[in-house]
Amino acid sequence: MRIVTVPRDGVPVTDARSVVADPALGKNFAVQADVVVVGSGAGGSVVAYEMAKAGRKVLILEAGRYQPSANFTEHLGDTMTQIYRDQAAQFNTTADVLFVEGKCVGGSTVIGGCVMHQLSDKVLQGWSDKYGLKGFAPEKIKPTYDLVGKWLNVHVNEAHEINATAHKVIQGCERMGYAWKPVQRNVKRCALTGHCLAGCPSDRKMSALVSHLPWAAAHGARLFSDTQVTRALIKNGRVTGVEAVVRDPDTGNIVSNMRVDAGVVVFAGGTVQTPLLLQRSQIPDKSGQLGRNMTVQPFVQVMGKFKEPLYGFRGALVGVQVDEFLESDGIILASGLAEPEQLMVQGEQGAGDEHMEYMKSYKNMAGLNAFSLDEGHGSVEWKGGLLDGDKEIKWNPNRNEFAKIARSVSLASRIFFSAGAEKVWMPTFQKLAANNVFELDEQLAKVDYGINGMYTFRINTFHSHGTARMGADAYESVVNPNGEVHGVTGLYVADASLIPEPIGYAPQWTVQVMAKYVSDRIQEKSSSYFVS
Amino acid sequence: MAPEEQVAAAMAPLSRRRFLRWSLLASSAAIGVGVGAASWLSRSEQDQLPLPDALQHLTQSEFLLFRRATEVLLPLSGTRLASIDTVPVLHNIDAMMGLLSQSVRKELAAGLAVFDYAALVSGWHGKRFIDLDSNEAVAYFDRWSQGNSVQRALATVIKKFVYVAYWRDPATWPAIEFDGPVSDRWGLPSLGNTPMPNETANVKKEGETQ
Repeated sequence: MRIVTVPRDGVPVTDARSVVADPALGKNFAVQADVVVVGSGAGGSVVAYEMAKAGRKVLILEAGRYQPSANFTEHLGDTMTQIYRDQAAQFNTTADVLFVEGKCVGGSTVIGGCVMHQLSDKVLQGWSDKYGLKGFAPEKIKPTYDLVGKWLNVHVNEAHEINATAHKVIQGCERMGYAWKPVQRNVKRCALTGHCLAGCPSDRKMSALVSHLPWAAAHGARLFSDTQVTRALIKNGRVTGVEAVVRDPDTGNIVSNMRVDAGVVVFAGGTVQTPLLLQRSQIPDKSGQLGRNMTVQPFVQVMGKFKEPLYGFRGALVGVQVDEFLESDGIILASGLAEPEQLMVQGEQGAGDEHMEYMKSYKNMAGLNAFSLDEGHGSVEWKGGLLDGDKEIKWNPNRNEFAKIARSVSLASRIFFSAGAEKVWMPTFQKLAANNVFELDEQLAKVDYGINGMYTFRINTFHSHGTARMGADAYESVVNPNGEVHGVTGLYVADASLIPEPIGYAPQWTVQVMAKYVSDRIQEKSSSYFVS
Repeated sequence: MAPEEQVAAAMAPLSRRRFLRWSLLASSAAIGVGVGAASWLSRSEQDQLPLPDALQHLTQSEFLLFRRATEVLLPLSGTRLASIDTVPVLHNIDAMMGLLSQSVRKELAAGLAVFDYAALVSGWHGKRFIDLDSNEAVAYFDRWSQGNSVQRALATVIKKFVYVAYWRDPATWPAIEFDGPVSDRWGLPSLGNTPMPNETANVKKEGETQ
């Protein structure tokens, strides 16, 4: 029997400093692997584990830095600077929609709010019927959801995981007659610190940092951080490896050039990064869909002020959700209030005394996050050279989406007023608040769509997907039903960019399920890729 | 460089953004006329203030702008809140500036110049933002917060820099009863890595004996 040793803490990582210090590597070096996985988040970590467990020589390349959980300070400002992409300032071209993403070993699983959703049978059956994704028919894929959920301790929040913010949402829903339910989260013995967005220093959040990555490493996978893949190498329609640069994470300077020779390359950089990688790799894109169809699932945060102190920032970050409007309106609401710095990005702050009053109310506040389902018309495009180019993310709400966001704000505000809120702040670039429910419509009517809905609602996105969509038809999709890029043997995708149509759920669980599914397909074709 | 050229130069990179083009053209024309008519108004006694050595990324004019914005946006005197003397707001802003990509940094510099100089004509103050008194400056922020998309964007960015630079400092948290980091204080033990579930029988953690 083979004994596999999982480290007690942390993951063995080769970072930029180690590369510089290793004379065997130098300024230019090459590595050989069976499988190279680009990205170490929800999708990449699962593929790395599955492939390493199957005995493949696996190399994981992560552009972000390695921040062991022991180094997490529970200080959101510091964390954003260190391990959020673009220091939590990744915006669309009009700089008014924020794309929040982790850039570190473990990716967004490290900084997420732990919310785990399964797709409904109806959605999965639709994937099977509309896109030829037969493997995702509910009866086939549900066991994989169960398996991944069990591994990651996904559970329905228990009573002690429902904090004061969530209780206000429950109270409001009960009075409005709206259905609510505790969310499912991937946490083990949650310590209720409320600091999810800054990483979990006591390793309770089941991020890739404490699950699939150490498991993959235990099976022999090797992980390089600070390593940015520039492109996949493709010869005669077959992938042969990748080119990458190792950068000093503090200065951004290149310390080494790297080439990896591998029969299988799996891109798992996420919805924004993966299409950029594919574009830089100049894959044949018969469909013309690469980098398109991006769903952003826009999210705004409505803040309510209550008479009594709630200390709503204490306890589990996300307690309950209201999903009865998902089918009818494409809207899902989730309770949550984080650190003071987070408030600065939510609604327009007054100036001077008004801001002081607002911050003095912090302990009396509750937050309700309103996610709405958009139509998937966003795009991501790489502009310029391999190393000196930049991304361009395009998405602004159309009139339908704008109306849906306004509806989500209205619903959230009504829930808070029903729970007794004295004031509700609108998540807008204009300074707007309602002191009672009768003022609500009047205030919301002041938010004018204007030019492309720009600078109207304060929109964030945590759940974007769909930029390299999966499907059987090579003229309609980028990736085939096995996860392999149409027209390039051995080049796979395993992240949220695969999702073939807009979904209204948090995608992490689905991404991990899809990554497991893709891993199984690679294994099925292993004789085509691997000598051994 | 003459003030009107300063404004025009400041506007140029910002106007690359397609969405800003028409409104920038309109506002730059207005500012150009205003500044051209009274260029001496754009001078400020504060321009002579030296840029502190500790600041590495802010220009002198940006330092003056954020210095004034901090005084106006955070009226802390007479409150229980941590004073500006104990929270290095400008230093924090400087550090955040240093993290921006070159392209964003360039556009931001242009926007900040617009915000400062536009006070000459926007509201007919006849002086730059850095020379407005506190009431005028708050009103200026409020007006821009309700203005066109460019004005809303700039007012928002400046406020965000100042407020994040202040509230990210742990010294500011006791006054609003935010707990800050708790894991160490509560003595929470790390649970460490999770065993591989399917292979539990085969797995041992480092340091564990058989």
